Amino acid sequence: MIAGGLWLRRWLSLAVLVVSAVTVAAAAVGPVYLGTARTAVVRDALEDAPPDHRGWRITSVVEDAADLARQVSAPFLTAPILGAEMLSPDLKATRTYPLMWQDGQCEHVVLVKGRCPAAAAEIMVTRASGFKIGAKVKLGALVSGEGADQRPMPLRVVGIYHADAADPFWFGRNLFTQSAGTTDGNGDPLFTVPQTRQIATTAAGVDWVDPADGRAWNTFAIVYVDPLRITSQDLPALESAQARLAEMGQSRQRTIVFTYMRDTLAAIRLQLDSLSVPTTLVTLQLVALGWLLLFLTVRDLVVARAPEIALARLRGLSTARVWAFGLSEPAAILLAAVPLGLAAAWTSAGAMAHGLLRAAGLPVVVDVSAVLYGLAAALGGLLAAAGAARRTVTQPVVEQWRRTPRARSRTWIPEAVVLAVTVVGIGELLSGGVITESGGRQAAALLAPGLLAVAFALPARRLLPLACAALFRLTRRRGGIGAFLAIRQVARGAATGSTVIVLGAGLALAVFAVAAWSVTARNFGEVARVHNGAETVYVVPRGDAAWLRGVSAGIPGAAPVIRVPGRPLMLATDPARFAEVALWRPAYASGRSLSALTPKATPAGLPPRVLMTGDRIRVRLKVPTIPKGWSVILYTDFRVPRETGPRAVPVARPVHGQSVYEWGLPRGCQSAACELRGVRVTVTPGADADFENPPGALTITGFEVQRGGRWEKAEAGLGDAAAWRPPVSGHGGLTLSMSPFGGASSAIPATFPDPLPVLSNGRANAQKLPGLDAGYLAGYSPAASAVALPGLDDVGAVVDLELADRVTYGYSAQAEFQIWAAPGRGPAVREALRKAGVPVLATRTVDELEAGYAGQGPGLALVLLIMSAGAAALLALGRAVLSLYAEARRRTYELTALEAAGAQVGPLRRALLLEQVITLCWASLAGIVAGVSAAMVALPRVPEFADPPVTPPLVYTLIPAPIILVAAAALVASLLAAALTSELLLRGVRYERLREAPA
Amino acid sequence: MVRCDGVVQIYQTREIEVVALRDIDLVIEEGENVALLGPSGAGKSTLLWLLAGLLRPSAGRLWLGGAEIGRLGQAALNRLRAAQVGVVLQNPARNLIPYGTATQNIAFAQRANRKRDRRRAGDLLERVGLTSVGDRPAGRLSGGEQQRLAVAVALANRPRLLLADEPTSQLDTQSGRAVVDLIRESGTTAVVVTHDPMVGEAMGRTVTIRDGRIGAEGRDGEDLVVIGREGAIQLPPEYHELLPPGTMARVEPLPDGLILRRADS
Repeated sequence: MIAGGLWLRRWLSLAVLVVSAVTVAAAAVGPVYLGTARTAVVRDALEDAPPDHRGWRITSVVEDAADLARQVSAPFLTAPILGAEMLSPDLKATRTYPLMWQDGQCEHVVLVKGRCPAAAAEIMVTRASGFKIGAKVKLGALVSGEGADQRPMPLRVVGIYHADAADPFWFGRNLFTQSAGTTDGNGDPLFTVPQTRQIATTAAGVDWVDPADGRAWNTFAIVYVDPLRITSQDLPALESAQARLAEMGQSRQRTIVFTYMRDTLAAIRLQLDSLSVPTTLVTLQLVALGWLLLFLTVRDLVVARAPEIALARLRGLSTARVWAFGLSEPAAILLAAVPLGLAAAWTSAGAMAHGLLRAAGLPVVVDVSAVLYGLAAALGGLLAAAGAARRTVTQPVVEQWRRTPRARSRTWIPEAVVLAVTVVGIGELLSGGVITESGGRQAAALLAPGLLAVAFALPARRLLPLACAALFRLTRRRGGIGAFLAIRQVARGAATGSTVIVLGAGLALAVFAVAAWSVTARNFGEVARVHNGAETVYVVPRGDAAWLRGVSAGIPGAAPVIRVPGRPLMLATDPARFAEVALWRPAYASGRSLSALTPKATPAGLPPRVLMTGDRIRVRLKVPTIPKGWSVILYTDFRVPRETGPRAVPVARPVHGQSVYEWGLPRGCQSAACELRGVRVTVTPGADADFENPPGALTITGFEVQRGGRWEKAEAGLGDAAAWRPPVSGHGGLTLSMSPFGGASSAIPATFPDPLPVLSNGRANAQKLPGLDAGYLAGYSPAASAVALPGLDDVGAVVDLELADRVTYGYSAQAEFQIWAAPGRGPAVREALRKAGVPVLATRTVDELEAGYAGQGPGLALVLLIMSAGAAALLALGRAVLSLYAEARRRTYELTALEAAGAQVGPLRRALLLEQVITLCWASLAGIVAGVSAAMVALPRVPEFADPPVTPPLVYTLIPAPIILVAAAALVASLLAAALTSELLLRGVRYERLREAPA
Repeated sequence: MVRCDGVVQIYQTREIEVVALRDIDLVIEEGENVALLGPSGAGKSTLLWLLAGLLRPSAGRLWLGGAEIGRLGQAALNRLRAAQVGVVLQNPARNLIPYGTATQNIAFAQRANRKRDRRRAGDLLERVGLTSVGDRPAGRLSGGEQQRLAVAVALANRPRLLLADEPTSQLDTQSGRAVVDLIRESGTTAVVVTHDPMVGEAMGRTVTIRDGRIGAEGRDGEDLVVIGREGAIQLPPEYHELLPPGTMARVEPLPDGLILRRADS
């Protein structure tokens, strides 16, 4: 029987089914998409991460790293890449080579000549090593034989290879520095086979001797997380694996677990935490709207069944059976709607994930929470059906038959309560009260569109009939029968109220969603441009400023950048190249171009750096008589390559009459240039020091450096007053006070200005820049300011790389070396880096960053809102038209009678059209005004980013075009629907109807 | 079977109250067939709905099979209607679920009764001559078939009282006669509202209602006026010419009655 009834009322049943399914889908799509987005967040974070941020390198001297790696296993982990390595200088100690093997190495190198090693003591080398095929290579630490018979073991070169340093197979290690030409002392790896380890022993005195077999090999295992196999459900397991490995590294002897996985996990957690609250809020609003639609549509279905329900009561069915009979059809439809809605949610979430989320092959799963949300929506529909059926079931049958008009219930009371609650809610939102604290952000502002939609729709539904009632008298006198009938019908308000509420609320949500998305998308784009700085940013291994500049110099459309986090954040770059490559808007700096700003950060006429390469330093001094009891030491401070702090050299203990002093330079200065960064004297008074008669001043007249046994003069600008700070240098040399009571006792070469001229986007509290060594040594002064600067996602400064390099004593581990690519030059720059042997550890593009924002919690919620609100608005329009159609259809008897009485078809058509146009346009107008108001009120409070950006300032001015488009589409759709239904209704006007009783 | 004692029924609408029945005294014996006659709006259908337990009297008392309607709760009323009353509404289509087959319609009525006799549907369809269309949806039956089916549905639970409202109004003479025969042959107490003189003649007794009062009764072909509670009588319309409404009359007693004479004669 149920099927028969559904078929008899097929169009109405279909409408209920569609509305129910969409409601279930709206409820379930959030959780389904949320699950997918969470997986996307995890995968994106892992895919974007450098190898050491998405895997572990377990190294052990004592234990087999393979055994350690196997202790953590999970479906999302790759099989361990095993290997062993031994660092050893060659026999002449001119270069240090890693002798190593790594599982699958032959598949990850390109053989230029020869073959891969296959037997013990065979190796393959790079072309840069200079070794030829067949050559014998001997390393200091690798010997064969025992005791006195030990002699260096020859390794035979059987192949020459070329490797891509960016291949994650190498775990982001900068192994191939010799090929890249960025090192003097390190050679490229000599790849061999595991059997080499079996036949070789290590020379006495070699570090890291394995007590088990006496060999100096580190075994290692590299384990990666496979982004294609992991889902958000695996996150606890991943955290557990990280904890297990971290504990392994801490507790085991001579075992190192190298990874930045903890940072990756923290970043993932931060993003995931921001997903749930906004998604839930949006979902709840959509479900609420769905329930409203369900209530109205199910009510129509129940009303259509009223005669049957009355018949059941007439036959004496018990109240429970009457309820069951009354709800059987809606329940059947809702039951069918659950799987349909879940399927629609799955499909929609899949489409949204495909279109909006970056990661490919994301699993779209209807999980338990999605099913529960769907069932809850359906249950809400059943309750709505029960509410709608209540009147039909409880109203006396005779009243139904007689159509006795009942006393009007006071519907304004619940409306007033709803309105009051709404107003309180909006007030709370605007004042930033308690409800805005959910999730630690103002995610509750997402409730604004729903609240404002209700706040506008309720008065609007009351106003329209009143306004029409006021016009009613006017149309009695003029405007013809068309206007008269239309205004009278709207004033009656039979279908007006629900139409205005449903369509107004649906359209308000849609307009808000479009406005919110257009504004948010603009902010996503702008923030991504500023934060990324350039269209494409390549993260490369850490080297030094000169190397980075050298890499960039050979690549057109590339700029070298070193980013040092901190507050202020610092970007060190080549200003001219930066201006060419960075993404810039003149609006950031009052209409000025970036190329007009960058020269301000590059002062001219700086003294040259004082560089010294050699093994000893000599200083020439003029030393006055030093009173008895005073001990004086002259120090020279050097910046030594590959060190992060200054190295002090006590070059002289000055005594009167001695003018030349010598001291050894740090070992690092023998092969690379060390920079003289300062001179200072320390004066120590002895017990018998006469404080009335302190030492005077000594004068440094020259520096010399010994290299290869020969002394060479080192030009330090000692005669130039501008070359040192404070200006204690002059014609006689550089004079330092030895008195503890006054005068400059130290000076530094004035190779950089202090404060440094920078481009700034705001002043941080700190007075000094972190510098490349994060030593906070130099002050800074904005030479030019802008509200936003490329590459700065926090308050910070852009500084000339040369100046930053002159300030620093080294490179902090936090400093990130980047190569920026100009718009459209990304692939070319990448190819050039590959050719130069520079590994790319990570690639960041504006597009990906922008897409990443859409995958964050707030972006996700807005995407969800716009998708579902659009569907809801269409449904609302459909429901409104259906309602108007059904209401007008009941009056076709009246229209037929009018036509029979001589009324023309034209005025009747106008009446129907006008009635529907008035109602639909009024509802649309209410919705549009509510949506725009909600956008204006709520947008500055709606979170757009999981981590709100400090810079650039976000802009919340509405973008008119999409709003106008939606409003126009809504109005056009309303007019079309009105015209169509009017025509359909008019076709139903036939004289035969007069034989029937009025419906 | 049925006893009305001063039954009054008032409908309350938004603005006004309408007295549909006033001071109805009526007794219907078990097995009696009664036709309720009277002009439209006289209160016939209201009396029928009262007898069906769909309304409770605004005043007065009404007994149905020994149970006083006004004192029964909703559940008891439902049970009473399910077990003892069968109703045929005016429009045959209104009695039926259009998408249900003839058999399903009878079974639907039987749902209300705990003691369901599944074979009765077939018997009833046979009695009303609809066996051949038992599987056809009721909406596709002809008007006569629908009305016969409506009677069958009303008889589904072997009611002690069968109420029918204009059961022949939309039928041709032959179909109407068949339906009346069905009602008479059902053997149950029947009250039929009708305008059809043929139906009135077929019933053993007629009760005429005018302006909410019982004005006359007919038994064995003779029409008698009924003296109301306050001594009021309603003159049959055919005498209105002699004594038009508003006429002053003298009452002259006789040993077995009285005579009304116009005061101006």
